[in-house]
Amino acid sequence: MPQHEYRAFKNTFGEFGGRYVAEVLRPPLDELEAAFIAAMNDPQYRAEFDSICTEYIGRPTPLLHARNTSREIGGAQIYIKLEGLANTGAHKINNAVGQALLAKRMGKTRIIAETGAGQHGVATAAICAKLGLECCIYMGEVDIARQKPNVFCMELYGAEVRPVSGGSRTLKDAVNEALRDWAASFANTHYLIGSALGPSPFPDMVREFQSVVGKETKAQLKAAGVVPDALVACVGGGSNSIGFFSPYLESETPRLIGVEAGGRGMNTGEHAARMNGLGKTGIVQGYKSLFLVDDDGQVQATHSVSAGLDYPGIGPQLAHLGSIGRIEFTRATDTEALEALKLFARNEGVIFALESAHGGAAALKLAAELPPSATVVVNMSGRGDKDIFITAREIAPESWKRFLEQEVQTL
Amino acid sequence: MSTTAIMAHMIPYFPDRELSYAAAHGLIDSKVDYLEVQFPFSDPSADGPTIEDACGRALASGFSTARGFEFVHTLVDRGAPPVFIMTYAGIAYASGVKEFCDLAKQSGAAGLIIPDLPYDYDEGLYEAGIAQGLAIVPVVAPSTTPDRLAELLKVQPEYVYAALRVGITGAATELGQDNLDFLDRVGASGAKVMAGFGIRSRDQVRMLSEHVHAVVVGSAFVKAISAAAAAAGPDEPAAAAEAVYSAVETLVSALRPD
Repeated sequence: MPQHEYRAFKNTFGEFGGRYVAEVLRPPLDELEAAFIAAMNDPQYRAEFDSICTEYIGRPTPLLHARNTSREIGGAQIYIKLEGLANTGAHKINNAVGQALLAKRMGKTRIIAETGAGQHGVATAAICAKLGLECCIYMGEVDIARQKPNVFCMELYGAEVRPVSGGSRTLKDAVNEALRDWAASFANTHYLIGSALGPSPFPDMVREFQSVVGKETKAQLKAAGVVPDALVACVGGGSNSIGFFSPYLESETPRLIGVEAGGRGMNTGEHAARMNGLGKTGIVQGYKSLFLVDDDGQVQATHSVSAGLDYPGIGPQLAHLGSIGRIEFTRATDTEALEALKLFARNEGVIFALESAHGGAAALKLAAELPPSATVVVNMSGRGDKDIFITAREIAPESWKRFLEQEVQTL
Repeated sequence: MSTTAIMAHMIPYFPDRELSYAAAHGLIDSKVDYLEVQFPFSDPSADGPTIEDACGRALASGFSTARGFEFVHTLVDRGAPPVFIMTYAGIAYASGVKEFCDLAKQSGAAGLIIPDLPYDYDEGLYEAGIAQGLAIVPVVAPSTTPDRLAELLKVQPEYVYAALRVGITGAATELGQDNLDFLDRVGASGAKVMAGFGIRSRDQVRMLSEHVHAVVVGSAFVKAISAAAAAAGPDEPAAAAEAVYSAVETLVSALRPD
């Protein structure tokens, strides 16, 4: 947790960010901002967060020198921040714990959240179970279908998973549904947003709770006597990347590289890349940022093999840092992500989540262009267990099919 | 006999282009006092399922911002009552907020309702609207604090849209003393109060009549249009148009106090 004193936030990042919400949602956002600042200035709250980080999340998560892969590539040394080893399988738990503790402090008894890949839903459901909070997770029907194992876990933690049938039935629609719920329920309910986006103060709050990933990595690199040349992270909404990059945002080095979903190609609806001129400035779901929208401002379809990267908007601070050139953005395709996933599994004994594998693919490319004296650090924001129904189908379709048929018969 | 005005809400291109014109004609001919024409947005997070679905259908039927303004223009030419265009920030921002105001004025609209462009994040809406002589209608809720209410009334809006409860459009609203007190507080500023969210019956209209300038009826019209179109079926466009036309007329007369 940061040690400096928290005051009011600016709520905007250059031209991006803001609080573009109907009046009905202003009171809970204003209340949340005040409560967040007060909590961050309260040593007792921070001690509680730190203690849960250690005894429940399992922090610090390791930083692995991927020696075999580095040797095979013959380029830069690749380090992997094994954030996916955090309890519940991804970085999402850091922010879920921070916000759930905050909600409790605010006297809220019920938590709602949106989820795409399901990792944020799982993290939220888990911490709600631990803290005794009622929990309702909104999830698009398309995502429920492709992330069934996570749905199962959320329900095991005692959460209600509400299927969202509106719109494209994915993450953005789950956000809409959660906003609708919150507009009527904020008296006793906190909306626990999982990504570094939405109306302020969410982007600031999520970055602060996720900054633990970047701070740990910085300390671990220092302890190893390594000066990083580049940090690489996948970017959906942007919670893992902004947290991972956060200690370096004010300095000129290292290079910070965000990796978006290149999907199946660059036609509309085939990818989810918003940077490098692909997205337009727009206002959606309470904040201004770069979105995949048409000329009328209607949100367009997206695609990624990973459910966590197919959101049409990017966090406002990332959009800003991209526009001023502090963060570089690149893309990895579905295929490149799967190849990286296989390579790290075989070489390092580590299975990346499909989202994080996009970062892995870009790290591999970059490392190949750099000398062995250079260092590239990639954040494995999640581990790949949850994706087995997607990766197995892609990598070993026949044997997987036989297994599933057998399973069905056994049932 | 009450003089409470009725603002009827509708969505151009819902369920399709022809039937939305039929609905508009029905509303104009039944002499509603105001029309609220919602330009659909792909992600209407302040609307309930009825209006969300209707917006999705309108977009699938070919709605575009340009066609929305054309729609308004056509209605104004046909003698429509004052038309308020309701939409989301993303739609106005895509055209450029100032440009959107210019286009609204050219189409003959009387005002704009854009709930997610509040006065402190308005992207120049109030300035451009006032310059164009458009009424920019702030939307307030019972949860709006006295400070914010005072602040947003500083521009002396001619109209204020008051949501009768927290939450989204379309769900049921129980009208209690709290609602009425809230409406009176808003009305004390001298603004004409338009109250909506969950209005569907004559009793509600009657109960509000002492407290508001107009009641806004939204989801109830969407449902009536949808039901009439579905009953007529897709193969008889002329019959469907007639059914939609009379369905809105019926609903208007059911809302009007005798």
